[in-house]
Amino acid sequence: MDPTAATVPGSAVAGPEQEDPGLDTLQFREEIQRLMTVPPENASSFTALLELPPTQAMELLHLSPESEPAPAPAPAALSGEPLHKSCVHPFSSGLAFPTNAAQIERAAKFPIFGGERSPETGPVPSNSGANVEKVKSEPAESDSNPNSSQETKNNQRASLKRKDREKKVKVSTKKNKTEVKEDAEKIPYVHVRARRGQATDSHSLAERARREKINARMKLLQELVPGCNKISGTALVLDEIINHVQSLQRQVEFLSMRLATVDPRIDSNLDHLLATESLSLMQSNFSNMVPPLMWSEFPINGNRQQYQQQWHFDALHQPGWGREEDNHTFVTPEASLISCNSSANSASLHTGHVKTEL
Amino acid sequence: MNPQLLSLSPNNSSLKSRFTLGFLRALKRLNMQTSSSPSPPQTVSSSSSSSPREMCRRYLRIRIAADASMASAVGSRRAWSRTLLLKIRNRQFRSCNSSARRISMKKKCSGRKMKKLKCDKEINELRKFVPGGEAMDACSLLDEAAHYIKCLNTQVKVMTRIADIYSAT
Repeated sequence: MDPTAATVPGSAVAGPEQEDPGLDTLQFREEIQRLMTVPPENASSFTALLELPPTQAMELLHLSPESEPAPAPAPAALSGEPLHKSCVHPFSSGLAFPTNAAQIERAAKFPIFGGERSPETGPVPSNSGANVEKVKSEPAESDSNPNSSQETKNNQRASLKRKDREKKVKVSTKKNKTEVKEDAEKIPYVHVRARRGQATDSHSLAERARREKINARMKLLQELVPGCNKISGTALVLDEIINHVQSLQRQVEFLSMRLATVDPRIDSNLDHLLATESLSLMQSNFSNMVPPLMWSEFPINGNRQQYQQQWHFDALHQPGWGREEDNHTFVTPEASLISCNSSANSASLHTGHVKTEL
Repeated sequence: MNPQLLSLSPNNSSLKSRFTLGFLRALKRLNMQTSSSPSPPQTVSSSSSSSPREMCRRYLRIRIAADASMASAVGSRRAWSRTLLLKIRNRQFRSCNSSARRISMKKKCSGRKMKKLKCDKEINELRKFVPGGEAMDACSLLDEAAHYIKCLNTQVKVMTRIADIYSAT
């Protein structure tokens, strides 16, 4: 923990230095200018992430690497300390900190990165571990002015949380600051916050989003299909949905068969009447119509003999009826209506429908 | 009663009324066709003497008319209605082989590796029943299936009503 060791004597030295800030500011400015001339590798992306002007962010970027090699001897410690202070000063002004020099010195003791990393959750423990320790040791030292330090810490955390909410990539950036930031800037990301204990790479996040979409649609389907609410498990629900679609399609076929057998009375007036009447009726009575009732109407109609004569389906090999072949149960309450001389197809067609309705 | 009902503009009316109108018109057309072209050996279309083949043909035409009027009532907003309309038009032009197969050839849309769902079998089964379902991914398939079920419900209700009215009178 060289940085902490370096800063501890620095903080001890900083005490007597408070009285003469003017002398040190010159030194500070020199350090600042030295720092600013160092070109950052990828300051653009990183600094945009941090919402800081490039210069300040660059200083922060170089803060921790430079605090590491800060040599133990006092003059170097002094130079390390002013680095902290000088770097913090523009940073704090960016965040509207109190410009009190004493407070800033106290704040300067906390390495900014450590303050940034502390509110981060589990996903990146390894990288933040070293820096978090720095932060934790710092509060022990700064007993002189805890309030301002708390303020700065809280402000840092608040700003960080803002950043977190804005970009999920921040989580992954902690792994590798340089590369990932480039990708983050280029590709527009869905702004999703990674949940606790879940993987955060783009693949699994996209898959999770997809899964959620599919689950939402499954819920809609469950509401549409009657009797699906009680069933749990996607496979069973899907089976139920498939059965429902099948039964609806068969109903349409039966209805069209029924319409085909009805007397085609060619009366335009009648048709007109039917249209208007059916429209007005439909607008009022549709809620009362239940499809299974259709089957109970068969014996009521006076055309039963007609049906029995005409429903000879020897010649019928419809492609649409091929679907019925998979239905093998033979429940025949209304078999008397249909004279199915030929194929099991037609019988299963009818009975399959009845089975699904009853 | 109200001849104005028949002249409802498509924008104002609901799916149900659009479908009803289209279907009734198609039925009317079909009835006129059968009545206007009676072959001399067979009598005019009185139900007792129409052959099974006649009726079978009529049934097929009515079914196609029902699907077509449903699909056109929905419009081109939905993939399944587009597929249905294409199928019907291709059938009319007798070129169903080429274009229908070309449409259904494309299995997987998403370029990335397909996620392995536990219910893949069921989803593939559902594809068979929803028109145009072959070329959709699971997400949009479920979407289309929901809308398709809703429209099928409407269709069944309307056709039951029409059949009742026809058989009652």
